[in-house]
Amino acid sequence: MTSLPLKSSYKKPHKAGIGRFFVLAALLIVLLVVLLPFAIVIINAFKTPEDYATYGPLSWPTEWSIAGIVEFWQRVDYSQKLLNSLLISASVAVIGVLLSLLNAFALGIGRIKGRIWLLILFMVANTLPQESLVYPLYYLSKEFDLYNTRFVVILIFSVIQSAFGTYLLSSVFSTFPKEMLEAAMLDGCNKLQLLFKIIVPVSRPTLAVLFTFFFIWTWNEFFLPLILLISNDRQTVPIAVGVLQGQRNMEATLSSASALLGILPCFIFFLIFQRTLTKGIAAGSVK
Amino acid sequence: MSTSKSTFRLSFMLLLVLLTSILAACGSDSATTAPSGSTTTSNEPRTIKLWHYEGANSAMGIAWAESIKQFQAAHPGVTIQFEEKGFEQIRQTAGMVLNSNETPDILEYNKGNATAGLLSTQGLLTDLSAVATQRGWDTLLSSSLQTTARYDDKGVMGSGKWFGVPNYAEYVMVYYNKDMFAKANLQVPTTFAEFEAVMDAFVQQGITPLSVGGAEYPAQQIFYELVLSKANREFVNAFQLYQGDVDFRGPEFTYGAEKMAEWVSKGYISKDATGIKAEDMGVAFTNGTFPIMISGSWWYGRFSDEIKGFEWGTFLFPGNKLHPGSSGNIWAVPTNAQNKELVYDFIDITMSQDIQTLLGNSGGVPVNADVSKITNEKNKELIQNFDAISKADGLAFYPDWPAPGYYDVLVANVQELIDGTKTPSEMLDAIAIPYQEHRATLGK
Repeated sequence: MTSLPLKSSYKKPHKAGIGRFFVLAALLIVLLVVLLPFAIVIINAFKTPEDYATYGPLSWPTEWSIAGIVEFWQRVDYSQKLLNSLLISASVAVIGVLLSLLNAFALGIGRIKGRIWLLILFMVANTLPQESLVYPLYYLSKEFDLYNTRFVVILIFSVIQSAFGTYLLSSVFSTFPKEMLEAAMLDGCNKLQLLFKIIVPVSRPTLAVLFTFFFIWTWNEFFLPLILLISNDRQTVPIAVGVLQGQRNMEATLSSASALLGILPCFIFFLIFQRTLTKGIAAGSVK
Repeated sequence: MSTSKSTFRLSFMLLLVLLTSILAACGSDSATTAPSGSTTTSNEPRTIKLWHYEGANSAMGIAWAESIKQFQAAHPGVTIQFEEKGFEQIRQTAGMVLNSNETPDILEYNKGNATAGLLSTQGLLTDLSAVATQRGWDTLLSSSLQTTARYDDKGVMGSGKWFGVPNYAEYVMVYYNKDMFAKANLQVPTTFAEFEAVMDAFVQQGITPLSVGGAEYPAQQIFYELVLSKANREFVNAFQLYQGDVDFRGPEFTYGAEKMAEWVSKGYISKDATGIKAEDMGVAFTNGTFPIMISGSWWYGRFSDEIKGFEWGTFLFPGNKLHPGSSGNIWAVPTNAQNKELVYDFIDITMSQDIQTLLGNSGGVPVNADVSKITNEKNKELIQNFDAISKADGLAFYPDWPAPGYYDVLVANVQELIDGTKTPSEMLDAIAIPYQEHRATLGK
């Protein structure tokens, strides 16, 4: 009994060890390649412009200076931008998930007529490039007096994100065990109760994933907010980062500082929700 | 399982609380701003919305901040609400913003046919012709500076109504590393032949003389300098303002392209330059890798701040009467702007001699400065060089101006000229086509 596991534990890991070593090495290289740009951003964010000009972008900072970060923060009133981004992304995430949920309830569980066509429609809407939407959205928002408001950005992205959400949730819901639904109906559940007491609790991991994605996607949106938000006090973080790009000159250290500040909130949000994310992907829709 | 559920619920509720508090903050915010918009007609406090995209430490940023101060001192009850924008942001959204009621009252805008010219044809910019004469801006600005202020009914610059007011200027010159020149025992060249001799001397010592950014605008400006060395004003007017025919196989372009190829083969320009961006070109000059860099006055302030390791100076491209350069970007007044008279007062202040002198002292190229009050010797040299060009009517604008999308055509073809994939004549034929096509669509 004792020799058998010893033997196998001696042989097997050894064989897998070489393979593992290569996989690990390859992963490490990929990790390095992925992290390198971030490392450069961080190094340069803490350099002084003179330091950058003398030794170039790849050298280690001669002294760590937070002047660039402070200057960028004050120059663009970063606290305000953070609030705006947070407001817009969080609202979109909440509204987008709610919309997707209601749509998917009708399409995936309710199996209304023509749902295949509706799903295809959502798919197509999902693949439309945003650039093609710019002029219609611009004119509509002007027509409804919503141009240059955060509300219109929330509205638009809630719809855009829920197009994807509907598509995803509908296919998840279409595999929802019928027995559970029938049992609930037999117990006297009405449709609202069915949705909020049965389906939502069961599919919470999927909803959490959607919520996280919607938040991060909306946070990183640049083009539509750029077009629709005119006043500086309503703009979002990615637009603030864009302010530094001059016509001919680029302030490399300041740009790095802004990039760092631009990435950081999203990164922190991801860290907080990372557990729900992995859980949502790992877990099926049914416990 | 129950713990993860409760953490999820907790974080979700936290978010909701945060959301509602932000929403509440926004609500009170909009409530306070709402009345100010409706009182523009009465004598109550008025605001002017001003946009520009110059950094706060740049010469223009400093001068305009002072202008805002002076304006507010002279106009009690009027506040200027300044918003710093990105260049790209204004470039991409100006057409839409100016067509809405969220427009600023005055903005810095990119000069040129594709930008200010286009907006003027769409009726989005105020015609400033009468104001320009009334306030004397037309006499203050030399004719080559006025080129970018005036656009005809097709949006082509050079003639017609005033749609903008340039407040500063820019031009291309030669930056050099005094220490490296001294070490190699070289003098500042005054003729084209001397300039080539200086570069030969560096090549013999194993130093590539020119820092060139071939992936962006710098290389085409060197090419244009070389073309201009054989050109006159008529050539520039024909090429830039469509006044007369342009022959891309004529003596000017042929000389420019062949000379550029020769400079590469002689080692003045490295073939690796094709992959270098403008920013890296500047950094390479700043850290003393190259002794010479041919580029614009927009580097001046930055070099003054950042070059610590050696002495540097500038001279005009030797032998040339014409130089790439133009007015800077322009003040434009949207058609939908409010309080236009106040805006004109503001432009007037930015054109005044003491603001212009401040701009000069901060490292910019002013259009109306009192040179005797420029304290920094280096800045004085910069401004005097510009005055010499301006007086001789020597601003030849930039090679990518005449046709939309021409910038990318020039970048690609000058790159191919440098790395040798195209001969000079092939390169000239390639850049001729889009130019002639655009002129055909204009009917000029």
